[in-house]
Amino acid sequence: MSIEDPYELLSKWFEAKEYLVVGKSVTRSDSIEKAIGKARFLEDYYEPGRMLFVKQLLSTEPHAIIESIDYSDALKLTNIVGVFTAKNIPGINNVGYALPDQPLLAEGKVRYHGEPIALIASWDIDDAFKALEMIRVKYKRLTPIYDPLEAMERKDILIHDEQGSNIAFTTKVRKGDIERGFSESSTIVKNTYKTHHQEHAYLETEAALAIPDIQGRINIISCAQYPHLAQRIVSKVLGIPASNIRIITPYIGGAFGGKDDEGPLVAAKAALVAYLTGKPAFLIYSREESIRIHPKREATIIEYTSGVDDNGYLKAIKVKIIHDTGAYTNRGPYILWRATMHSSGPYYVPNAWVDGYCVYTNKVPQGSFRGFGNPSIQFAVESQMDELAKKLGIDPIELRLKNLLRPGMDTITGQKLDHSVGVADLVDKLARKMEWSKVRRELEDWNKRSNRYKRGLGIGVAWHGISTSRGVPDWSNAYIKIERDGSVNVYTGIVEIGQGTPTTSYRQIVAEALGAPLEYINVVFGTTDAPDTGATHASRGTSIGAIGVLVAAAKIRERLNRLASDILKTNPENIVIRNGRVFDKISNREIRWEELIQEAYNRGVEVSATGYFYLPKGKFDDKIGQGFAYPAYSFVAVAVLVEIDTWTGKVRVLKAWPGLAAGKIINPTQVEGQIEGAIAQGIGYVLYEKLEFGSKGEILNADLTDYVIPTIQDVTLDVEKPVYVEDKYKYGPFGAKGVGEMAFIPLPAAIANAVSHALNKRVTTLPLTPENVLKLIGGL
Amino acid sequence: MFYVLPRFNYYRPNSLDEVLKLINELENYKILAGGTDLLIDMRIKRYTPRNIVDINRINELQYIREDNEYIRIGSLTRLQDIIESNIIREKLPLLYNAVYNMASWQIRNRATIGGNLCNASPAADTAPPLMVYNAKLVVSSINGSREISILDFFKGPRETDLRNNELLVEIKIPKPHIHGYSYRKIGRRNAFTLSIVAIATYVEIENNIFRDVRIALNSVAPKPVRAWSVEEYLKNKRIDREEIYKASELVVKDISPISDVRASADYRRKLSIILIRETLFEASKITG
Amino acid sequence: MKVRFILNNREVEVDVDPREILLDTLRYRFGLKSVKRGCERGECGTCTVLINDKPVYSCMVLTVQVEGQRITTVEGLVNDDLFKKIIVSFAEKGAIQCGFCTPGFILTAYALYRIKDKPSIEDILKALEGNLCRCTGYKKIVDALTSIRS
Repeated sequence: MSIEDPYELLSKWFEAKEYLVVGKSVTRSDSIEKAIGKARFLEDYYEPGRMLFVKQLLSTEPHAIIESIDYSDALKLTNIVGVFTAKNIPGINNVGYALPDQPLLAEGKVRYHGEPIALIASWDIDDAFKALEMIRVKYKRLTPIYDPLEAMERKDILIHDEQGSNIAFTTKVRKGDIERGFSESSTIVKNTYKTHHQEHAYLETEAALAIPDIQGRINIISCAQYPHLAQRIVSKVLGIPASNIRIITPYIGGAFGGKDDEGPLVAAKAALVAYLTGKPAFLIYSREESIRIHPKREATIIEYTSGVDDNGYLKAIKVKIIHDTGAYTNRGPYILWRATMHSSGPYYVPNAWVDGYCVYTNKVPQGSFRGFGNPSIQFAVESQMDELAKKLGIDPIELRLKNLLRPGMDTITGQKLDHSVGVADLVDKLARKMEWSKVRRELEDWNKRSNRYKRGLGIGVAWHGISTSRGVPDWSNAYIKIERDGSVNVYTGIVEIGQGTPTTSYRQIVAEALGAPLEYINVVFGTTDAPDTGATHASRGTSIGAIGVLVAAAKIRERLNRLASDILKTNPENIVIRNGRVFDKISNREIRWEELIQEAYNRGVEVSATGYFYLPKGKFDDKIGQGFAYPAYSFVAVAVLVEIDTWTGKVRVLKAWPGLAAGKIINPTQVEGQIEGAIAQGIGYVLYEKLEFGSKGEILNADLTDYVIPTIQDVTLDVEKPVYVEDKYKYGPFGAKGVGEMAFIPLPAAIANAVSHALNKRVTTLPLTPENVLKLIGGL
Repeated sequence: MFYVLPRFNYYRPNSLDEVLKLINELENYKILAGGTDLLIDMRIKRYTPRNIVDINRINELQYIREDNEYIRIGSLTRLQDIIESNIIREKLPLLYNAVYNMASWQIRNRATIGGNLCNASPAADTAPPLMVYNAKLVVSSINGSREISILDFFKGPRETDLRNNELLVEIKIPKPHIHGYSYRKIGRRNAFTLSIVAIATYVEIENNIFRDVRIALNSVAPKPVRAWSVEEYLKNKRIDREEIYKASELVVKDISPISDVRASADYRRKLSIILIRETLFEASKITG
Repeated sequence: MKVRFILNNREVEVDVDPREILLDTLRYRFGLKSVKRGCERGECGTCTVLINDKPVYSCMVLTVQVEGQRITTVEGLVNDDLFKKIIVSFAEKGAIQCGFCTPGFILTAYALYRIKDKPSIEDILKALEGNLCRCTGYKKIVDALTSIRS
């Protein structure tokens, strides 16, 4: 029946002119329970003595053959139930996401200091720790490599023998003719940029509780950002059908991508112990283990050349991107792919030549972290833009406005963007609102008067493709049922990691589409009991995840409209359902929501539905790096004002002005929360956070004393209200695009540009610790 | 759950005499005061004491008092009580500033001044101010009491002049004359962090002449140190911008910084010079 | 070892090993799940509780040390007017995201408001230095707290 065609339903709601709850700052449904300690997190399910406590044995070598693992003494401890290694895995040990290169538990060889080797299962925590010290691993040391440039050259030392090279994966873009492009350029800028790892430092560390149940099934309370992926990984490791594995996700104390990589592996380790012992098994990472084990934000080296003509139009770019992926690729190839396809920034570039290399080293793996390869490349792009503007003698905003993508233009991969491209409007609006030119001029005068302290204003503009990369299938789904009393249950695989998707936007979208009161909507999130919804990553929780929610609700609404029109003797088009009132807008005859639902049950009108939606995508040709990359892009711009103490090298961000072109804004307060949080995380990344590696490639600061994240005194509280350009995307729910990662992406660029402006020196290397800033200005 | 504390015997004496008797008899013990350093050190197995002597019941060691000559602080006085004391704020502003910038409210509510000193970290933040005030440390044992100048107290990282049966009971600070002062702490972030360098600078000025200059720094040597070379150079010199610049460079003779996860030796050296300059300017109320 | 103390206005007694930390006692003997474990070494603030109305990290206190003391967690404040004002303000201002740090922030803020009716922004920032939040960027937390200054 065409009335239930998802495209038609989406487009009907896309056209809405007024909204009941969408676009309003509805309060999250989980706030109070979190405030009073009622909201359950993972450790809240652990009952000491009644469940096995699992402790991991980690490698203390960066690169070595495992000759033997002797745990016979450990097994003599009274509470130890077992010690499990790769050889105990009944299914497949290989859990690599992008390439089949990563074991759940080290097999034959270890490739980084901190790699999990064995699982100790104990009834008692003390004995688990004792056992840990009693296990003897005999290693045969191999030469480690820590520098990706060295790793690319070496053929004699291979971190993965089976690969035949330390280059795990490559990407490319070939567009137009760069030789012609550069010959048409009158100004060319070339720089090499370096960015560093970032630790997620979510306040809740990773954990999982696996509980065997009566039918040979395993229930897992998990922290994974994608329950159905955790299910798949567990199924693979245990060699049992996915249908025997049920994932439940409680509230998660922050994730930022880190639990997208590590979450399924935590679940698989707990599940392995539960499966092998038949007992409930609880695994929790200590802070130190969390920092040592889980993948980090990409560390990169980017060589970037760009050319503009006399009129300030970009003519060509040549880019080489090297990602230090560490011991395993994890999602490294996807991260590199995203970086490569975003390497032009949100600008029209006619000629491009880009090469990407994902390189193994004997360090902690690279992984998913808010922005996914994009913050580092946008840092390079936006630094280049400022340098070009400087050489041309024009304002950085002016140069950007000349080159920003507009509807109808094609991207670096040759993909034509026909709509939802609000970035030029955004930058223009933001610059006007903040009085960019005036502030810059005033600062330059201020700097003339100030000797010790210097101030600078910088901007970062960025784009971020929504959904998974390339033609990789992406879809949305949800299941909604209305109970007999009129209350509504929504089932989704999207998880609640702090972003508030299930607890705000889903409730708003369902209330809007059904017309039911907001407080009637309950969202059951993070469960494999829901249809596979895809992951809570890539800013897709609302932008993609809620498409299915809207489609399911819209289907039921169509049925309810017909039913109501029958009851109220009018046409379905005249039916209004608003906040639980159901009426005919002609006659004003009315019934209550509860009566309508009761009638639906009485008359056999189905009030449950799934909302499957398959996102249309195009083709991509890997050989030339051209084609369809992403269904839509969100755009973001953030300007920051910094002050530098040139004596100590300390940098402070004094103010930030964010702007977003991410389609319809469903909940302004939640979006602000994402923006402000991302800005703080970006300030942490650029100014304070840095992993320190020792001579064995070990992380020396695997704690929150020496890995310093911002406190309340280290961020700017002066974040202006965001500027929004609602450049709606036709398949987004009500036209919404992604938000969660956005404000982080241009932050390194914005701060670096502001510091460069203040000091009149180009920043090319992060982080901007006081020490590095002093080096930059020749003070050290 | 993230750590297990090693097993220990727990003693909770009710009086100072009891404490002194206990520590005279016990071997392999640690004093538990605020616990904010000790419990971490036990978790990471830096210390695995067989016995723990909890002195938190010894209320007689918690006080801030003032007499004609001295300001006296009981060793068990919490850091938060120090910054809430008017005596400290008014009479010992460098100590006030140092403690104000230490750790967090939650930690200051537990951590004690005696604990910070006896832990003898090279980064101990109460040390620089007390070193410029020439504080004396009163230590007791069953054999009686003795006084140690704070300048002789630290022997190296986590080593002090305390004997095995001695307890630090009081910090005794000679009341300073009228003086100029300035305190700076640079860490990797603005709050709740360990110092890369912290510095306390104290000057007595008469007719525009430095009559006394005392400067102490932490985190730039195996123990907190005085910048003797700078002090000597400036004493009895006129206050002068150029002289301060010259003097500040001399600090490199007094310090021996290392590179670690917090900063490089070079940066610490550079910061020491800069902060000496800056604090001298501020203390002597001239502009840099 | 037997320890008696007042927990959320109730007199309680437990028998613990001296090396048990207050964080574990509160979570596992009393089921107070608001007290979170983020680092177990005094670095993050998620395990903040009040001892005699002062905020402390419960991971840095041995349970045997709280003999005779008064311990408060958010579970013990649900009927308290000041507490209600704070949590409602946190909820309305959007100061809660993942929520893992939230009870710690609220207890510290509560302790501040108990000693100061109208804390300045500086007072608020100073008090909250020892509570880390990785989600909100702190702005909405400060907004929530400044908006209730009576």
